[in-house]
Amino acid sequence: MIEVENLTRRFGPHVAVDDLSFRLEAGEVVGFLGPNGAGKSTTMRMLAGFLPATRGRITIGGFDVLRQSLEVRRRIGYLPENVPLYAEHRVEEMLRFQARLHRIPRGERTARIGRALERVGLTDRRRSLVGSLSRGLRQRAGLAVSLLPEPDVLILDEPTSGLDPIQRIEVRKLVLDLASEHTVLLSSHILAEVEAICPRVLIIDRGRCLADGSREELVEELGGGGALVRVEAAVLDAAEAARLLRSLPGVETVEVGERVGIHTEFRVRGEGDLREDVGALAMAKQWALRELSWERPSLERLFASLVLGEASATSVPRTVAPTAAPTAAPEPTSPISTGLELSVSGGAPTSAPSAAPMLNPFERRPDASSSAGGAATDGAPSAGSRAERPPGGPTLNPFERPRTQSDAPASDDGTDDRTGDRADEEKGA
Amino acid sequence: MIGASWTILRRELAGLFLQPLAWALLLLAGLLQGLMFSSFYLPGRGGDVHAAGLELFGGTQLFWVLAIVLTPLVTMRMISEEAKSGVLEFLLTSPVPEAAVVIGKLGAATIFMALLWASGFLPLVVAALGGVSPDWPHLFVAYLGMVLVSALFCAIGLASSALFSTPVLAAFVAFLGNFALMVSGIVTLQLADAVPEDVVPRAWIEWVVDKFDVVARFQVSFVAGVLDSAHVVFFLAWTAAFAFLAVGLLESRRWR
Repeated sequence: MIEVENLTRRFGPHVAVDDLSFRLEAGEVVGFLGPNGAGKSTTMRMLAGFLPATRGRITIGGFDVLRQSLEVRRRIGYLPENVPLYAEHRVEEMLRFQARLHRIPRGERTARIGRALERVGLTDRRRSLVGSLSRGLRQRAGLAVSLLPEPDVLILDEPTSGLDPIQRIEVRKLVLDLASEHTVLLSSHILAEVEAICPRVLIIDRGRCLADGSREELVEELGGGGALVRVEAAVLDAAEAARLLRSLPGVETVEVGERVGIHTEFRVRGEGDLREDVGALAMAKQWALRELSWERPSLERLFASLVLGEASATSVPRTVAPTAAPTAAPEPTSPISTGLELSVSGGAPTSAPSAAPMLNPFERRPDASSSAGGAATDGAPSAGSRAERPPGGPTLNPFERPRTQSDAPASDDGTDDRTGDRADEEKGA
Repeated sequence: MIGASWTILRRELAGLFLQPLAWALLLLAGLLQGLMFSSFYLPGRGGDVHAAGLELFGGTQLFWVLAIVLTPLVTMRMISEEAKSGVLEFLLTSPVPEAAVVIGKLGAATIFMALLWASGFLPLVVAALGGVSPDWPHLFVAYLGMVLVSALFCAIGLASSALFSTPVLAAFVAFLGNFALMVSGIVTLQLADAVPEDVVPRAWIEWVVDKFDVVARFQVSFVAGVLDSAHVVFFLAWTAAFAFLAVGLLESRRWR
């Protein structure tokens, strides 16, 4: 439905959109994700035909956006970020104006206006002045206006910004509802939202496409900064337990959390689902487990790793792979081959070797290779397979890179806080 | 195209009347016209209702002063403010050609000005009710001329509004443009007096000036009560030229 080829837009020396290409099939709902200033709005404006592209081609429904502008405009519903509506008109009047612009036959107008209002839940505010509506209601009025002509393609620029959580859920529902009959491209910097609404995600930063695919695909392909296993267990020595956990294959970092009573919380980060390994270790060490849960790799983590990684590496993750591998390679070898034997002390040595083979590489192999997207070759030594692991978040993420035992937890906290703050700031803005 | 222009026109007109400025302008114009008629024109003409009425319809400088000042006030917000508030983004992504947007807005501004000038009929209607009827067809021709002049100034105002993103600046530049167009004919002829006949023949200068001298065109035809298609076309052509410029400037906004 939408085809974008080598789209570039410059504003003077500033390149807002840089050689962007993507396709949307009819009926797809795609989330357009990127930090502020990534070029989302510029791209959407170009899609709507408001801004001409410096280079590249956009076709919507087979029509060129610049050359057959009117044909395209008849087929799209575009809701700009600031929801431009005539403040001095009533909601109903605004819709009637839109109906006339789109030449909706007179007889159908009233019925369709009613339907559009109902869809966004504004029927009781149809007589209100647009200027007197609150931000959220205005947003809904804007949605009603862009929905009224029942366009094939809906381009929604931050449709949920400025809405309260309940309104946001409503808009989410509405968009999901629309998905059945329209092709929807919506932008947002709120990740949870895109995660909830869009089966497919396009991540852009600085005008370039960083990733394109379904959420699961992206998380699998790009690592997403690793999955997280939360463990709460009663252990004698937290530091010792953390060291053991870290020695498990596939584990990248271990954070020791708070101690509540006799239980200590550990946050184990690594590839795939580490619950079984951690559970086996706990059994072997006879820790009393209270909690063992897996947090799936989220888009948020993926997004942070992509964008932050982009900031430090300034290149697309897929092409980063070869350069990132060498830095990742030496690290895993130490805790596994030497770190374990040398550092484990006291009562551990007897049980540690017995635990190690049991948890080991060979059992985990299928799991590891599948999560690595088939990159790891079967039968390779564990260190080797780990070196070939696709560059996930941690290697790209400057804050997670120092993976020494002492500061690993701290650095992890740093990342979390940062992404958290980012999201908060953006919500606030 | 016509349907779209009509839609825009209706929206713009509604938008104008939903703002207090329009009402204030109408009130002021009505008051001023009535006051001028009863206090100056009528006594000045010795009670000749028709002659005084003609002064109300473009016979004096006051018409030009009002026209060049009021039209920018009406058109200043039409594009620049919409560009600022983002509504222009909505309009230009709706299935309406840019030309229709400009034509609709121009039409709305012209209709508003026509309404404003029509306030001049009020004192005359009162006079007619009192038993002294002016020569209505003559006044209608003059009125039509005023509307055509206003349309031209509105087109200049729209072009200015498309060029600048602050309404005040747009209004000021439009005012300057209107003023320049208004005086250019007279000023050129004045300057031409200094040019010796053998360097540039006076007739050539007059021929050129005739092509843009709105004041002279207005005075010799409409105020004289002559509805000459040549003069009507003259005003329409200039209006179309500036409307075209406005469309170009509107389109060029996207590249800026």
